[in-house]
Amino acid sequence: MTKSRSPRKKSSKSRPAAKRGGFWRFLFRAGALGLVLLAGWMVYLDAVVTSRFEGRRFEVPSRVYARPLELYDGASVSAAGLARELELAGYRAGDGVRAGTYQRNGGRFMISARGFRFPDGEEPRRRLSLVVSGDRVQSFSVVAGPDSPIVRLEPAQIGGIYPSHREDRVLVRLDEVPELLPLGLMAIEDRQFYEHYGVAPLSIARAMLANIKAGQIVQGGSTLTQQLVKNFFLTRDQTLVRKGNEALMSVLLEWHYEKDDILETYLNEVYLGQAGNRSINGFGLASQFFFGEPLKDLDVHQIALLIGMVKGPSYYNPRRHPERAKARRDLVLSEMAEAGLISADAATRAIGQPLGVSARPSYTDNRYPAYIDLVRRHLGRDYREEDLQSEGLRIFTTLDPAVQDASEKAIRDTLPRLARGETREALEAALVVTAKDTGEVLALVGGKDPEFAGFNRAVDARRPIGSLIKPFTYLAALEQADRYTLITPVQDRAFTLEFDDGRLWQPKNFDGEERGEVPLHLALSRSYNLPAVRVGLDVGIPRVQKVLRAFGVTTPISDYPSLLLGSMSLTPAEVAQLYQGLATSGFNTPLRTIREVTDARNEPLSRYSLKVDRVADPAAVHLVQYAMQETMQEGTGRSAYLTLPDRLTLAGKTGTTDQGRDSWFAGFSGDYLAVAWVGRDDNGPTVLTGASGALPVWSAMMAQLPQHGFSPVMPDGVQYHWVNAREQALTGERCEDARLVPFIAGSEPQQRLDCEGQFGRQIRSWFEGLFR
Amino acid sequence: MNKTTITRAGCLAMALGLGGCASGPGGGSIYVPMGGDDRSSAPEPPRSAEPQEESEPRVWRKSDQPEVSEPEAPATRSPSYRESGDELPAAAVSLIRDADQRLAQGDSAGAIARLERAQRIAPRSSEVYFKLAEAYVSGDNLGAAEQFTLKGLSLAGNDSRMQRSGWLLLADIRRARGNVAGADQAEARAGAL
Repeated sequence: MTKSRSPRKKSSKSRPAAKRGGFWRFLFRAGALGLVLLAGWMVYLDAVVTSRFEGRRFEVPSRVYARPLELYDGASVSAAGLARELELAGYRAGDGVRAGTYQRNGGRFMISARGFRFPDGEEPRRRLSLVVSGDRVQSFSVVAGPDSPIVRLEPAQIGGIYPSHREDRVLVRLDEVPELLPLGLMAIEDRQFYEHYGVAPLSIARAMLANIKAGQIVQGGSTLTQQLVKNFFLTRDQTLVRKGNEALMSVLLEWHYEKDDILETYLNEVYLGQAGNRSINGFGLASQFFFGEPLKDLDVHQIALLIGMVKGPSYYNPRRHPERAKARRDLVLSEMAEAGLISADAATRAIGQPLGVSARPSYTDNRYPAYIDLVRRHLGRDYREEDLQSEGLRIFTTLDPAVQDASEKAIRDTLPRLARGETREALEAALVVTAKDTGEVLALVGGKDPEFAGFNRAVDARRPIGSLIKPFTYLAALEQADRYTLITPVQDRAFTLEFDDGRLWQPKNFDGEERGEVPLHLALSRSYNLPAVRVGLDVGIPRVQKVLRAFGVTTPISDYPSLLLGSMSLTPAEVAQLYQGLATSGFNTPLRTIREVTDARNEPLSRYSLKVDRVADPAAVHLVQYAMQETMQEGTGRSAYLTLPDRLTLAGKTGTTDQGRDSWFAGFSGDYLAVAWVGRDDNGPTVLTGASGALPVWSAMMAQLPQHGFSPVMPDGVQYHWVNAREQALTGERCEDARLVPFIAGSEPQQRLDCEGQFGRQIRSWFEGLFR
Repeated sequence: MNKTTITRAGCLAMALGLGGCASGPGGGSIYVPMGGDDRSSAPEPPRSAEPQEESEPRVWRKSDQPEVSEPEAPATRSPSYRESGDELPAAAVSLIRDADQRLAQGDSAGAIARLERAQRIAPRSSEVYFKLAEAYVSGDNLGAAEQFTLKGLSLAGNDSRMQRSGWLLLADIRRARGNVAGADQAEARAGAL
């Protein structure tokens, strides 16, 4: 029994013991395993949290700025233009005393400039007083701040280059932010921030209690550290596992980093709103986004609003739900007063303030997609895409918002009037505007819908340039002053060219007419085809190619005579480059969209300096400029003066290709060079010519800008003479058919014709010269 | 860089400094304002309020070739030119002075940045380009210096003082680049003035 029992006993006794032992062993093993797993998990979390913290802290998109407006006595700007410029730079109408406000009274402006760190130095805060009269700045003076006869306003931000997750931020440093921000933030969100180790069990308990009571999650109880960790992940759902992970990672974060580091990262990381598909992260950007002002300039009530929004950025969105937002802000203000951060008085005063949110974001994404596209291409030569997206670079472009607006408006208003029906639907356009003497691209429109970031015709539509080539052909001729002058008779007569393979080529004038002998300047200003081909063949295609290459054509140039009628295809931007040399009397000036790039700390990375390169004899170019002015005054471009004032002297050239497939106009004033193209993407025919399609767009743009007329300085070696072209003779100013024409010295006619039609003195003096 | 280049650049600086004082904006250019200040306060793109003949029908020409009709060119309109470039507005003079100081401290990049601002304000004034040439000389970029001198000369017009400064500067730069023939030629041009 015993035997039989004992084992039973034993077993009955030992089994529970064994059970107990097994249980402990199991528990121990499980615990050990759990610990190992936990340790592994912790190691994993640690890696995640540190890499996120290190990596994300510094991922800042690049900012793209317009050119800053320079204010000084004589600066060219209209009162409406200045007001618009101020608005773009985030100024608000106000007393003109508070930084970032301006006061306008008719043409009188009082501007309180915020100051800005430009790559070449600080532009300090100043108060400016000036009057805009006749589209010019007058009586400019600095009322407060360091005196200077010239001051730059802060540049408008016109875009950004964002990382793929579309998070945007303006980095702030803890020592730069108003003290009230971190203090207030802690008072509202995490009072024990400087004491806890990442989690605050007491607050969690309190929150849990509240949650159990409510039957749902109503309170966070999260520390700032936990919120920061939560922000590292894109989803915001709250599960238990999630909470556990969050707590572990928070502890790890606290273990690795200083409190101030964590706080600063929090200030830059916290999600505060959404602008389209771009998320607004951090207080620096939120301040710009909601108030149009830098964080350091915010008032107490504005700081309180931002702090309040942390709890629910879309629920408390002050633009969409102003009442909720105000209630929340006022609650924050009272909490701040209770915590002793502000006086009760200050709180009351702040509560009395309206929200003070700017009407709309002070800058929107992609306002000028075509321009930014070109900027990115230029940046792509020197920078890697990932650096542009994450290094917080500051890119200072040459975009002039007033010119860009004028360009977009010109296309919007003009294009629908140019054709009817199906053609009207299909018509597209592109416009490039540069500063004549600097080569800076001021505006770029890539299609009829300027805000659509699609096919950028200004830089990608490569089309035959038609008659735009003619100035270069004639330049090649006029460079040979012994053979060609502006009054050299050229033949406007049809002819047939036979190629080696027997094919025939018979160029024609646009109107099919032939006029016989015409002076060269007339052939260019009226854009006759036959003389252009004859002259081109006479000077030789290689010479024309050489001129084109010197002026900036980099693509292969055909050897065929059809080149002389513009069979060569170029983009509008390339045409602008080509005409830059004509506008500046023979100095090639590379087109630029970027002046400077700095890193986030304002250390200069690249400067794109002004370059000039003499590519042609200024004297010969001056003669071509003469005929291009004639084009505007008497020739194919003269309908420009239906829109533009007579006083504005201009030079330009029309271009049309077969059946109106391409309508071009390239021309310049004293200040601006612009190239317009109108046509169809499918390369179909239109009823347009250069003068009826592109020129109206060009003129509509120019008509909106105050500017100087084109009046080139007479270069060395050029002399003006009154001549009678028909008789190839110098003549008197008051004689019939007299015309004041520039000549390269020595190439002027040697005979003289008086008003009665008698050849005289000049011949005699020439003979005298012979026999002296 | 030879000594004379710098000396002459210095002399030029003084000449320009003295000459560049106090001149109104715009110099000889014809400025054409496009709108009045009494225009509507609409913040949209600044647009022209230039009075246009309402009655004039907006007919865009159908032909790229000339027709004898519309719009008749007024008799006074003729291609424009002028004898000399613009004078420097006070704002540009102040930027050039600032650039001079930077140059004196050996900061040619800082000087160039200021001169480029001045050039944007006064792009048709030969002084600015000579100054840029000077800055590039001190930055040891003689190629750019020569090009800016040529550009300045193209705008000097009939101002013989400016012409002379330019040709002398060009002679020095060319000599420093080893282009003796070009230097002699430039010097001869200066001498002929």
